[in-house]
Amino acid sequence: MFNAIVSADTLQATLDSVSVLVEECKIHLEEDGLEIRAVDPANVGMVDLSLSASAFESYETDGGLIGVNLSRLEDIAGMADADQLIHLELDEETRKLHIAIDGLEYTLALINPDSIRQEPDLPDLDLPAQIVLEGRDIDRAVKASDMVSDHIELGVDDTDDLFYVDAEGDTDDVHLELTAEDLIDLTAGPASSLFSLDYLKDMNKAIPSDAEVTVDLGEEFPVKLHFEIAEGQGQVTYMLAPRVQSD
Amino acid sequence: MRLDDFIEDFQRDEAAEKRRLAEEKSYEITNYLDEVEREFERAVSGESLFGATAPEIFVGRSSYPNVSTGVLSPVTDGDAADFATSGEWYQQGLGVSEVLQRRTGLLNSTRSANVDVRDVWDGFVGVQREVAIADHPVDVEVGLDGEPDIDLSLDDVGAPTGPRASAESATLAENPHVPRPVKKTLEDDDWRAEGAMTYLYRRGFDVYDINTILSAGALGRGRDRRLVPTRWSITAVDDTVGQFLRGGIRNASTISETEVWYNEYMGNRYWVVLTPGQWEFELVEMKAPDSVWNPAGEAYYLASAHEGYEGRTGYVEETAGAYYASRLGVLEHLNDRGRQAKCLVLREVTDDYWAPVGVWQVREGVRNAFDGQHGETETFRQAVTEVTEQLPVSLGALRRKSELVAGLQAKLSDF
Repeated sequence: MFNAIVSADTLQATLDSVSVLVEECKIHLEEDGLEIRAVDPANVGMVDLSLSASAFESYETDGGLIGVNLSRLEDIAGMADADQLIHLELDEETRKLHIAIDGLEYTLALINPDSIRQEPDLPDLDLPAQIVLEGRDIDRAVKASDMVSDHIELGVDDTDDLFYVDAEGDTDDVHLELTAEDLIDLTAGPASSLFSLDYLKDMNKAIPSDAEVTVDLGEEFPVKLHFEIAEGQGQVTYMLAPRVQSD
Repeated sequence: MRLDDFIEDFQRDEAAEKRRLAEEKSYEITNYLDEVEREFERAVSGESLFGATAPEIFVGRSSYPNVSTGVLSPVTDGDAADFATSGEWYQQGLGVSEVLQRRTGLLNSTRSANVDVRDVWDGFVGVQREVAIADHPVDVEVGLDGEPDIDLSLDDVGAPTGPRASAESATLAENPHVPRPVKKTLEDDDWRAEGAMTYLYRRGFDVYDINTILSAGALGRGRDRRLVPTRWSITAVDDTVGQFLRGGIRNASTISETEVWYNEYMGNRYWVVLTPGQWEFELVEMKAPDSVWNPAGEAYYLASAHEGYEGRTGYVEETAGAYYASRLGVLEHLNDRGRQAKCLVLREVTDDYWAPVGVWQVREGVRNAFDGQHGETETFRQAVTEVTEQLPVSLGALRRKSELVAGLQAKLSDF
């Protein structure tokens, strides 16, 4: 059983943060909220998301697992204005999701969860550096780097206490430094890793510009990007494997 | 073999090869062109109708969808099949001037036609399509409208074409033999072109044959059947067959060592570096000043294109058809071994490559790089560092241009 009412912008933000990585996903319907974990086919980018029951206007379930085509569900959710409410109800017999938006009714065929790629284990990472900054600073770094290159280096200079971004292209370079004063918080440690901008650009799309983003970094290690959606009722963590220079 | 021993071995042969290429560059081609012109005049003199054996077709791309479409036929004596582009040319060791000779010996009898050829099996276009699907050169009679125009045209993707003459008509002088798999793809007009192309490939047709068949609009769903300009069709077939092969190694286990393979053909040097890991591919081209595609340059011109495990979504802005041709060569090799790998192809175009002969040269250069021995190193980084010593560019410049040299994509499960 699953029956919930949620505001369109909350549902859209939730779906967007997963759909930048995968086309289909499993949604765990837990009593205290939704949980989604997914990894892209190349096993390079991962998302771990939870949306608390309190993010919903109403939320009832006795547990369950459904598989959805994200772009279909996003299209439907996109029919609603941001402040409109979306009613979701699972039909256990037909395995379809009934979606109602202000008189508009849509029946979405679900996907057998067994046919969706297995959910990844979360890598157990012990990352020495942590940077807390605003989403808009990530956006600025990613956009500028994308003008010159296909990859980006994120690092922490632990002698000067600053977070830096480097992108090297054929002829042009981008460099950005954010000192402890520019950042919300900084735990300096030895960290520098190279990442594919293809992935980071997609993740960046889902990060609200006013969100507080916690970035965990290491030396040639995956990066963890954590932020909140739905006014703190939703937690999103991205993990991205680096491009390795030392091999 | 250790990579440094491997490099030393072929360096000895290089000096001899260089002398041979220098001789070849002697512009004997201009004398040859005069001769071709005389041959043509003799063959088509005063008569508007002539008999010919056509091994191939050509579809132009300008003013698409009303394109110039033609049958290519040798006017000089000899086996018509020798004039068709194929991997055979590599096996025979043809050089730049020999390729130009063969191709300039082909008269392109053209007519303008609309690309929509759904049910067209008569008239000039019909004859052209029959030539394309046949498995051997076809005897045709071409009615020319005026004198041939001796004009050599070069292209970076397609093989060069020779003189052109506008044709009024063409008729078949024999009943062409069409191989059974081609009949099957031809008759099934519900079959998407991609699927039909890979079917033919799996039935042992090389990309050269498939390209000609696709170009004649003989594959795909009925309503989608169009003449496909030769240049586009070459890339489409390399890409489609490449995607099919890539799918085949998607879940394969990875190679275990970093390997360096090398080949040199027509003044093009190919270094293929394979390293353990999940599929990733990159072509980096370094074009010498004074080579054909960098005639006015003062420094090496660098171009690159890259794809990850899931392939590309965007158009290849640099390296164009050479990207798909070289990728095909690598994927064929990995499929034979049933392994996947990360692959960096470095192509150095020296100034000995004095006229472009088409991407078949890249395809065969890379395909045949896997024929001989290879060198091995502990790491990808070591392979790239050692290979760069043989290249005309610095490691720093290469790192800026190459996604793989900058860093190899790791998987989350590696941590």
